[in-house]
Amino acid sequence: MAAVTLSHVGKSYGAVGVLHGVSVDIADGEFVILVGQSGCGKSTLLRMIAGLESVTSGDISIGDRVINDLPPKDRDIAMVFQNYALYPHMTVRKNMEFGLKLRGTPRAEINEKVAHASAILGLESLMERLPRELSGGQRQRVAMGRAIVRDPQVFLFDEPLSNLDAKLRVHMRTEIKALHQRLGATVIYVTHDQIEAMTMADKIVVMHDGRIAQQGAPLDIYDRPANLFVAQFIGSPSMNILDGQFAGDGSAVFITDKGVHILLANVPAENAGRPAKIGIRPEHIMLNDSGIAARVIVTEPTGSETQLTLDVDGHELVVLIRDRVDYKPNDVLKIGLAQNHIHAFDADSGSRLTL
Amino acid sequence: MTLASAGERRASQQARRLSGSRKVGRISYWPFVLPALVVVSAVVVFPWAFTLWMSVSEWKVGEPYHFVGFANYLRLLHDQRFLQSIGRTLLYTVLSVVAPMVIGTLAALLFNEKMPARGLLRGIFVMPMMATPVAIALVWTMMFHPQLGVLNYLLSLIGLDPQDWVFAPDTVIASLVMVETWQWSPLVMLIVLGGLASLPADPYESARIDGANAFQRFWYLTLPMILPFLLVAMTIRMIDALKSFDIIYAITQGGPGTASETTNLYLYSVAFAYAEIGYGSAIAVLFFLLIVVLSLVLLHVRELSGRILGTTK
Ligand SMILES: Nc1ncnc2c1ncn2[C@@H]1O[C@H](COP(=O)(O)OP(=O)(O)OP(=O)(O)O)[C@@H](O)[C@H]1O
Ligand SMILES: [Mg+2]
Repeated sequence: MAAVTLSHVGKSYGAVGVLHGVSVDIADGEFVILVGQSGCGKSTLLRMIAGLESVTSGDISIGDRVINDLPPKDRDIAMVFQNYALYPHMTVRKNMEFGLKLRGTPRAEINEKVAHASAILGLESLMERLPRELSGGQRQRVAMGRAIVRDPQVFLFDEPLSNLDAKLRVHMRTEIKALHQRLGATVIYVTHDQIEAMTMADKIVVMHDGRIAQQGAPLDIYDRPANLFVAQFIGSPSMNILDGQFAGDGSAVFITDKGVHILLANVPAENAGRPAKIGIRPEHIMLNDSGIAARVIVTEPTGSETQLTLDVDGHELVVLIRDRVDYKPNDVLKIGLAQNHIHAFDADSGSRLTL
Repeated sequence: MTLASAGERRASQQARRLSGSRKVGRISYWPFVLPALVVVSAVVVFPWAFTLWMSVSEWKVGEPYHFVGFANYLRLLHDQRFLQSIGRTLLYTVLSVVAPMVIGTLAALLFNEKMPARGLLRGIFVMPMMATPVAIALVWTMMFHPQLGVLNYLLSLIGLDPQDWVFAPDTVIASLVMVETWQWSPLVMLIVLGGLASLPADPYESARIDGANAFQRFWYLTLPMILPFLLVAMTIRMIDALKSFDIIYAITQGGPGTASETTNLYLYSVAFAYAEIGYGSAIAVLFFLLIVVLSLVLLHVRELSGRILGTTK
């Protein structure tokens, strides 16, 4: 049983609070991804689960057991550190064997596991090198290897693929997924990569300033962000946000601060006249001949799609369209918004409003 | 004249021109090298050459000098007092390397931990290093005194028999090593402390997760990573211990009998008490070779470990 439960976990360094009341339930075998801006406390949380940092308040449990004060070695976890933390004086092979040796694993089993992991990670030709003779990406793979051979109940990954090239990253992503399915271990994974988060996670936990901004299935978070921070953080390019207020007469219209009228599917009666922000993702804006006039500022073709930055009466909107278009700056075109994909947030608290 | 020989001549002319131009170059750098060369010759090369020369001579101060070839060296091979002094020197050196290494390293590990008044305690521990040999000899001679010394008093407190320390042939070497250890463990500590401060922190976190306990972390991480520093300390300690003279001379003058006469002390007696300069020089040469060989061995070990740890290329 390796369910991991964080209940009201807090951490401070002296007077500086880094984590505040973080609660997450992670089921046995679940793949959870932590995302959030740099410095929001992801690594700190991971290190607390690993037992490398003390818990200031709240409880961390693995299975039914509170492990706040359990030393790392008794937690049956493996961790890939953000800065690799390899043993500088040991070869790649020794680095990978070390944990197994300490646990008294039989030699034959060690060899088998190390050979297997090094094959997955493409490290076979580097086994006798020292860490300082490796590139950043190679070191990162050794750090992965060291975790993989351990076969733990819980894997903790702190941005394990950040230094790999695009191709290797896609390959490793698949390998990690396969590993997860094969071993059935619980995985807690930190990343800055949106695609990693969306494609690998059973559950995404979005953190903001040491608090949880939202947690849930990737598509739920994408489709129904709980607040403005999540709305802007998840998705790339990020969601367009417009300031303004709902029409005072109760009609389903949002009037922006620059006076643009946007038709909505529905506005609950109690929100009439309420100041708010609305958000729409770039892919939910279409070219539409009967829509609002917009002036082209920048056209950025990415190959499969085209990203347009448009000016609509002083609002800058980013639009993503499937077709190859060849607009020049200052061309004028007409756009429409997909009404049922418009999100609304409270102007002050930023929390989601139902439409 | 054949074509080939004409070609050869051209080539040799060319070579002469080239060597001519090189001669100009040689003249031009002499002024820069000369001063250093003169100084080095005067302070290093000359004394050495002179020692080597004397070691193949017989020359007692006040008597005429004459060349004897390798007679001095052959005489050394049968000189029991010399051979015993070598054995004693090696014993003294091994003990005076091992004991300060162990104590100095343990002290470094201890003082590397956070603790109250750490700076003050470190300072106190380092103090023996700064004392002068004669003062040390004076203090320790008094402490070693069989009747009045504090050491036997301390032994009596824990119920042990009094010892004769430096006044008995069986215990004199061990007692002198005690003094050496007391004075030089701090140096080892300082060097090792520097090594500990340079260690990266994150491998220790990996090791904790990999399941290493405190001893295993020390054994598998700390020790190999500070090995280059240990070897530096060891080399310094070894050379110092081999050459050790002042403390031994001031406390025992090599006694009782010749029980603490190391090669260095014997050399001193031969050269300055018996005034046999030639024979003394031969001892000096052999003794120097011994130091060089031992240092080379350590240097080699250090290089090996350095290559593994990446501290040397
Ligand atoms: N030992 C420490 N003492 C004081 N503050 C610390 C300490 N370690 C981390 N912090 C602070 O805690 C906050 C969270 O750090 P953490 O490393 O968890 O961020 P992160 O989310 O992993 O960021 P990144 O994405 O850049 O890795 C940061 O503001 C950092 O400055
Ligand atoms: Mg981090």
